[in-house]
This record gives sequence, structure tokens and C-alpha cells, in this order.
Amino acid sequence: MPKRTDIHSVLIIGAGPIIIGQACEFDYSGTQACKALREEGYRVVLVNSNPATIMTDPEFADRTYIEPITPGCVEKIIIRELNEMKRTSAQGKLVLLPTLGGQTALNTAMSLHKSGVLEKYGVEMIGATAEAIHRGEDREAFKQLMLQIGLDVPISGTAHTLEEARAVADRIGRFPLIIRPAFTLGGTGGGIGYNREEFEEIARRGIDLSPVSEILVEESLLGWKEFEMEVMRDRTDNCVIICSIENFDPMGVHTGDSITVAPIQTLTDKEYQIMRDASFAVIRAVGVETGGSNIQFGMDPETGRMVIIEMNPRVSRSSALASKATGFPIAKIAAKLAVGYRLDEIRNDITRVTPASFEPTIDYVVTKIPRFAFEKFPQADPTLTTMMKSVGEAMAIGRTFKESLQKCLRSLEIGRSGLGGDGKPWRIGTEVYGDRDILPKDLIARRLSVPNADRIFFIRHALRAEFTLEEIYQLTKIDRWFLTQIAEIVTFEEELAATRN
Amino acid sequence: MTSEQLTKAKSLGFSDRQIANLTGHTEDQIRAERKRQGLVPSYRLVDTCAAEFEAYTPYYYSTYDRGDDEVTPSSKKKVMILGGGPNRIGQGIEFDYCCVHAAFALKEDGFETLMVNSNPETVSTDYDTSDKLFFEPLTLEDVLHIYEREKCWGAIAQFGGQTPLNLAMSLKKNGVNIIGTSPESIEIAEDRKLFSAMLDRLKIPQPPNGMATHEAEALEAAHRLTYPVLVRPSFVLGGRAMQIVYTDAELQHYMRFAVEASPDRPVLVDKFLEDATEVDVDCIADVGQFEDPSEGTSVIGGMLEHIEFAGVHSGDAAMVLPAHTLSSGVVETIRKYTHTMARELRVVGLMNVQYAVKGDVVYVLEVNPRASRTVPFVSKAIGVPMAKLAAKVMAGKTLKELGFTQEQRPAYWAVKESVFPFNRFPEQDIVLSPEMRSTGEVMGLDADLGIAYAKSQMAANSPLPLKGRVFISVSDPHKDNVAEVAKEFARLGFQLVATNGTAAILEKAGLHVQRVFKLNEGRPTAIDLLKNKEIQLVINTPSGAAPRADEVKIRTTAVLTGTPIMTTLSGARAAAMGIAALQKSGYEVRTIQEYH
Repeated sequence: MPKRTDIHSVLIIGAGPIIIGQACEFDYSGTQACKALREEGYRVVLVNSNPATIMTDPEFADRTYIEPITPGCVEKIIIRELNEMKRTSAQGKLVLLPTLGGQTALNTAMSLHKSGVLEKYGVEMIGATAEAIHRGEDREAFKQLMLQIGLDVPISGTAHTLEEARAVADRIGRFPLIIRPAFTLGGTGGGIGYNREEFEEIARRGIDLSPVSEILVEESLLGWKEFEMEVMRDRTDNCVIICSIENFDPMGVHTGDSITVAPIQTLTDKEYQIMRDASFAVIRAVGVETGGSNIQFGMDPETGRMVIIEMNPRVSRSSALASKATGFPIAKIAAKLAVGYRLDEIRNDITRVTPASFEPTIDYVVTKIPRFAFEKFPQADPTLTTMMKSVGEAMAIGRTFKESLQKCLRSLEIGRSGLGGDGKPWRIGTEVYGDRDILPKDLIARRLSVPNADRIFFIRHALRAEFTLEEIYQLTKIDRWFLTQIAEIVTFEEELAATRN
Repeated sequence: MTSEQLTKAKSLGFSDRQIANLTGHTEDQIRAERKRQGLVPSYRLVDTCAAEFEAYTPYYYSTYDRGDDEVTPSSKKKVMILGGGPNRIGQGIEFDYCCVHAAFALKEDGFETLMVNSNPETVSTDYDTSDKLFFEPLTLEDVLHIYEREKCWGAIAQFGGQTPLNLAMSLKKNGVNIIGTSPESIEIAEDRKLFSAMLDRLKIPQPPNGMATHEAEALEAAHRLTYPVLVRPSFVLGGRAMQIVYTDAELQHYMRFAVEASPDRPVLVDKFLEDATEVDVDCIADVGQFEDPSEGTSVIGGMLEHIEFAGVHSGDAAMVLPAHTLSSGVVETIRKYTHTMARELRVVGLMNVQYAVKGDVVYVLEVNPRASRTVPFVSKAIGVPMAKLAAKVMAGKTLKELGFTQEQRPAYWAVKESVFPFNRFPEQDIVLSPEMRSTGEVMGLDADLGIAYAKSQMAANSPLPLKGRVFISVSDPHKDNVAEVAKEFARLGFQLVATNGTAAILEKAGLHVQRVFKLNEGRPTAIDLLKNKEIQLVINTPSGAAPRADEVKIRTTAVLTGTPIMTTLSGARAAAMGIAALQKSGYEVRTIQEYH
């Protein structure tokens, strides 16, 4: 199926300013989309208020609006562009591509859809329909849909008031409880309530911050393993997995704040295939016909119970990571799928012989570690929760997890040259310890059990303080496979140090 | 250590620095020993197919898992571009923008471009941005390997923010040709003593200042300069641990807990110029290419006047291009100083200068002979790709050849506003300070300054209200000027709300005010009204270094309820100007292709 010829101009909505949860990955995806669509001969109209982006350089789009991304402003742009198309007797339609500018673009497009503006001016949404976006983004609708297709989800309920939230909490019947506000970026306003008071405080804040005054109250999956799948689908129902990603930190830490590893390291092939099949079932049920999605899974390490956590019916932060991890340009392919191509019609730039329907295979390990800025916000709580707090990330590639982990730690530019042994002191609160000091056991235990930015280093401290792997596992619920790998690094650090004499 | 141990250490990802420290050697010794043993990384392809098919896009990573090296050889002249690494506050997308432009520009000029970066969120790490992409850590060890392996002609360290700049000197010592402004000139700009000496020689004023390596020295400097003083560590980006200090006690606390001062890394102590206007200038020059510096060209890209008074980090301040209140005399002085310093530092590429203007006196605060955070903004505002031109200049072209010799003055306004992550950190006070805390920025463009400002607020997700209530609460130093701002809002049809102190001043000026209680003195308070969405705009200025708990509560509640808040009177004035413009005519949109 070749590209659509009824389209003349494509309006792309960017992501606006860089904020936590929405960083320059959307410059990357938007820039790719602009290039891909112009290559196909479409006239590209872009709106983005962020001047520091490459995509807003005048040569990347035919018409670049550095204007606020608000429904009102985008409506003005639509009217202006339709007039311009009429004036130049353009043949074909103006369509809107909302899936490459993060949550900002998706929310703006949905608002224009709901207010009837898109219908009034005859502007079609491509990439994902309003119905598919709704099914993916509305937590209650999504959960019902998952149950219908026989997939498991966490027990939960939505609430619009504190009373409703209390009722859901009573139905689940145990703490801790996860609170996720609907339609907010990177989980703004979400959190974990360990007791009723804390639960009510977070629930109240979440209802306040959600643009639709809605929160999801969920059974806690704290300590469960977390995985992500990057999936693409075309309009003839071809589906491919671009990349599988495993979160090193178990559930309870936002994936943007987790150390993540690609490909998945700790699942058997059978488990992986079940997850792959489930991913295809999800993208089909939600109905994302032409583009990419990110699907998050939780798995109970004791029972193997697998639940679907959420899906993003758009290009996401994980898509950028998956693209860089595999070399597969997700945003570019998503833009081409949106204008009608099939996966098997798009050539892979890298090999020049395989089509985009060929699932990427990787023979190395990719590690991503978030970068935090708590030193700038001394009054803020540095505990990692379901609300994203990191401001950036580094990625590294190695032939083994150990190699990529240590490369990534020195990429972070936090003054460390690897996991440890570089001679730099450790500053913990007001205390300063030498690089090879053995830290107090109670301090280590505390820093392992409460997720924080330095937890990876405390695994080393714990091993050096003679914690067993099992003890570390019980404190962190980080998969024993990862802990074993780290133990190999630490053991060899001791061997190197022993050569000194 | 045996060679087997060294090999194993590298395959477990240990850096030379870790190995050196653990085994009691220096990093240089380990590197030399590895090279002697032929133990260098091989570069493999990221090819989507686990080497099943031939790959055409040169996207590489290094590994010590010995085996084939997959780098395609070439004989073109190669330039390495050092990226910015992970995003952080103070070093973000702006620097990626500059690196991408460097790659495009040098490709155009026939060079082979090599990008080195470790940040997966970027355009610079897209496989078709440069000729070869190395997804690697930005450390001396990793960068040198690539440079030597690829036999590069030169490397660009000016574009990726502080990360590559910190590497520049040690790279140069190891034989890397750092192109553009010389690392020595960069050091003059960064070293307080050398820099002061240069300004004295050029007769350019800077705020009275001193340096301190310990507490007593800091106190002595502060007494000599008189409070308030601005203190900060040397060699940082993003205003890390930069603070305005008003008393001995604050200064002692700062020296004890906020910084580690040492003879190598002294703390800089500057007289803080209260109520000065700050101006950022981005300039491009090719002067260093010429034997005689007077032959070269230097051109100002843009002058950005801050809306907030001095004391707000330039990464956090709202700015207007072109300058909107400066006299032509002051603008001329700024121009003269900028060109003089560009020639003196023999700049090849970009230079950013921060000025403070008090009365008719123009002081230089800082000079950075490298790409700055504002380069993309200025480029979009004037329609000239500054980073691209700078890269070409660094690789040998002159500005005359490139046809950029004239300063541009746009016939419209460009306003930059910053965006903050305070909604993620509900416990954190939001007052602006010399420590940068914004994560991003937006631009508002319009022929009318008020509309341009209003657009910037809209884009920053804090749209100005057109009617309703304004809650005003200012600290004592601002009480003299608050009535004039409040009058403006009353004239625009807003109802004024205040607590007793501010209310009394406004009433004295003949304004009608709705009084609310201070926290803990009765209900309803401003917090109640904010939560009920009965306040549409907050004007709240902080009372010095130790803000009162209730004012912090008001500010954080404004953030949580999504109510626009101005924490400076100059910000409030700009808001009034924006509201007036919106009320009068609304706004229209326009493409940048039409602006330029």
C-alpha cells in the first residue's frame, strides 16, 4: 500500500519546553518526522514553542510556528494554513500528526478533537485515531479492554473525589497503594501511600493536578519486576517488536528514574514470547494502526503473574532509547506508517536490504542510567517514586552487562569513573567516607531499601560490607542475576586492589 | 598486576582511572601500559541485525571483547565533535543544538564529522546527523581512543557545554588539536586573576571582587567589598552553589557547608550590584585566524536584556531581544566592550558575555569564549544560524567569506521565558536565585513587546489572566514601588487582594483592596482563595535569604494550583504590559519563515 496521495500538508505538534518527563527526545522524534515527511513530498507545518530545538530550524519544515502549544493557538494555525492552502490552490488535505510530540502534543490534539475544532475544519488525525488514544490513555477504559482480551491488570479503580478514592482503597484492602493522576506528564502528582494519611494527601494532590480531576488507585506491585516493549504496527496489521527493555529497579520507581537494560536479560525465551504475544494483542486491541507504542509490564517474581501496567499510544522517551539501542529509527518509520506505508514497504537505512518489518536483533547490552539534580532542590524529597524526578540520562553499550554498566556510570558525569575504586570519596549526607571505606551496615541497609539516586553504588558498598546476595535481594528486590553481575565487578575490584602490594 | 588481570579489568568495564587508583599507578601509566600490550578497544556496529547483513550507517560502540573492528576506513579530513553528555540543569538541549549544527556545517564544507556523545535523547546521536557516530562516554580515556584510532585532524570542544571544555586542556596535552578559540584563551576567561588583569588592561569595569580559599579570607573580602556579595565556586556551569550573601553569618555557613574551597579551586567573591539590569551578548568572531587581530571580524548576534534584575541566573531569567530599556549610549558601550574582548581573546567561533548595567556604567560579569545556552534562541530570533557559522569559522573560513559581517536588528520582539520543575518538588521554594534551576525555555515572538511576553507565558504553561483577582504581597524593600504596579492591574480591571501590610500601602495610594488574613491569623487566607481558584495571578516577592514560612507556602500553593506567579516586581510589570496588549487586540500567529 503506497503512501496516501490525498494529503497535502501535515501539521506536526512538538513537545514545547524541556521539562522533567519530556526532554529533548521529542526534538529527536520530531526532527526525524519532519525529514521523513518532506522526503515523501508533503508540506510540513510545525508548531513548537521551544527555540532550542533542531526541528524549529527554518529548514526542517515548510512552515515553522514558534508559538505556544495551546488548543487556541493551534486552532489559529489550522485556520491560517487552510487559508494559505486555498490561496495557493493546494490539492489535498491538511492532516494532524499528534503522536511525535509527547504528552503535550497528544493532549492538545485530544482537546481540539473534543471541542469539535478538528471536525469543524475537516482536519483528520493521523498516526493514531482519537478513539485509540482514548483507549490507551484513559486508565479505566484501558483496563477494561485488557480484561476483555484476557490479559491481567493490577486491581484498581478510578476516583474523582477523595470519597471515591477511599472506597477504592477499601476495595483493594491493603497498603501500600499507588496513586496515578490521569493525563499528567511523567506521572506528575502521583505517588505511593504507605498509610491512610499519606494516601489521602497524595490522592488529593493527584485529583488537583489531573486536568480531568481523575486518579487511578492501584494495588501495589512494589518489588515486582518491570519490563517494557516497543511495538510498531501498520495498517495491514503487521506488528514488530523493536526492542525489549528490562528495568533494573523493580516496580515502584518511575521507568524514567530507573536504570534500564536492553534487551531483557532475566526472562526465559518462553516468558519473553508470552510478553511479545501480549504486546501485539495490546496494540491491536487499542487500535494503534499506524505507528509505535510503548507497553509496560509487571511480573511477580514469586509467582510469575504478568500484568499490563500501561501503554503509550505514541512515540515516548523509551522509543528514543530503543531507537538508539537498536539503530532502528522509530520516529521516522512511525511518520511513514502514518501516511500509509506498510512496514514491509519501508527499507531499513542501515542494512539497505532488510525491510522495516524485520525485527531488530542485538548482540550487545545497552544500559541507561538517569541523571538527577537533587543538589539544586535541597528542600525536595530525594526518594524515587512513581513520579519522575530525573532531568536527563546517559546510555552506554558493551558486550556484557558489566561492561555497559561501568561505561554508563562514567558517562553520567557525576564525578565517578565506574562503580567504585576510582579514589573519589563518598559524600553521604554530612558524612564523608573514603572510596574504599566499609560503610556502616545500617546506613547501607537504609539506602538499599528506599530507592534513591545512589542505590547502584550502595550495592557495591553492601557487597564490600559482606552482605549476602540474598540479603541485598530482600532489601532491593533487584533481580539476583543483576546482583550476581555486580558482585563479579566488586570481586575483581578486590583482586586488583590486592595487586598493590 | 598481570596482563591477564589488565585484560580482564577492561572487559569488565573498568576505566583506566579505576585501575590506576586500585593498583597504585597513574591513569597515564595504565594507558601507556595498555598501549604497550596492544590492549585497545575495538569498535563494533549498532546495525539492527547482529551482523547478519552488511551495515551502511556508521554507528559505533567500543568494547574490550576482542574481535573484529568494524570501523570503515576513510582518508577524508576528520573533525571530532564532542557532545554534552547527559542533560542536566544548566547543560541541556541548547548544547546538543550547537553540536548538531557543527556536524551539518562541517559536512557541508567537505570534512568527515565524528560525533561523540552518551545521551540517547538527542538529535546529535542520530545516525544520520554526522558521518560517524560514536556512542561513548565523554572521558579523556574514551575520547582519546577514538581520536587516535580515527587519526582526526581536529576536535571541537566549544559546543557541548562544560563537559568537553573540562576535557579540552588534557586532550590538548595528549596531542589533540582543539580547533577554534585556544584552550589558553578559554583559561584566561575562566581564571579570575588572568581575567581581571585583562579587563584592567582594556579599561573595562567589572564589579569589585576578590577570592577566598578559606573562611577568614572570604570574610575579609566581603568586608572590603561590603555586603551584599555574590559568592560562587570557580569552574562550574549553571550557577551551582552560587549565592547572594547579606551577612557574616550567611557567609560563614556558605563557606562551611556549601562549597569546598581550596587553593586550586578558590571561591569567587563579587560585590553584588543590586537593582542592576543584566544583559547577555552572543557574538561570533574569526579574529584568532589572523596574525594581526585587527584584521579579523567580530559580529554581535544578539543582545538580550533580562527582565528580572541582577541576581537571577541568566539561565532562569526572562529575556528580551533586542534590549528594550537600555539607552543608545549603553548599547554602544556594550558593543565596544564586546568587540574589544573578542579581539583580545583572539576568539575563533562563539563568545558569550554577561554584563550588568547600573546607571550609565556597564560592568562585565563573565566572558565565556564558547557556545552559550542562548545561541539557539538568538539564532532563531535574528534568522542567522550562529552555531553553524561558528563551526565553519573554527574550521578555517572567515566571516567575510561566509557573508556575515553585520549585526542584525530585528523589527520585532523575541522574549525568552524559562520553565521550572517545581511541580515535581512540592516541598521546594520557587524563588529565583543565582543558582540555575530551570529545565527548559520557550520563545514568544511578536511585533508588539506585550504580546511577545504574553505568548512566552502562554507557552510556558502559565498563561496570563485577562480578568479576575491579583493577590499582592511584597517584602519591605519592594513596598515603595508596589503601588505603581498595583495601579496598573487595577486599571486593567483586576480586583486587588492583599494582607494587611501590603493592603495599607495600596489603600494609601487610593486603591481598593480586598483584605485576606495572614496564615495562622484567621480565615480565609490567600491559600484558601488559591485553592478555590479565586485568585488568577500572584505577585509575591521574597524577603531576602531566609524567607518566612508563610510566603513559601503561598508560592508553592500557587505552583500546585497552576496559578501564574511573579516573584519579582519587574516580572509583574511585564505581566501587566502583556495583559494590556492581550486585552487590546488579542494575538495572531506567524511562521518564522515569514519573519525572516
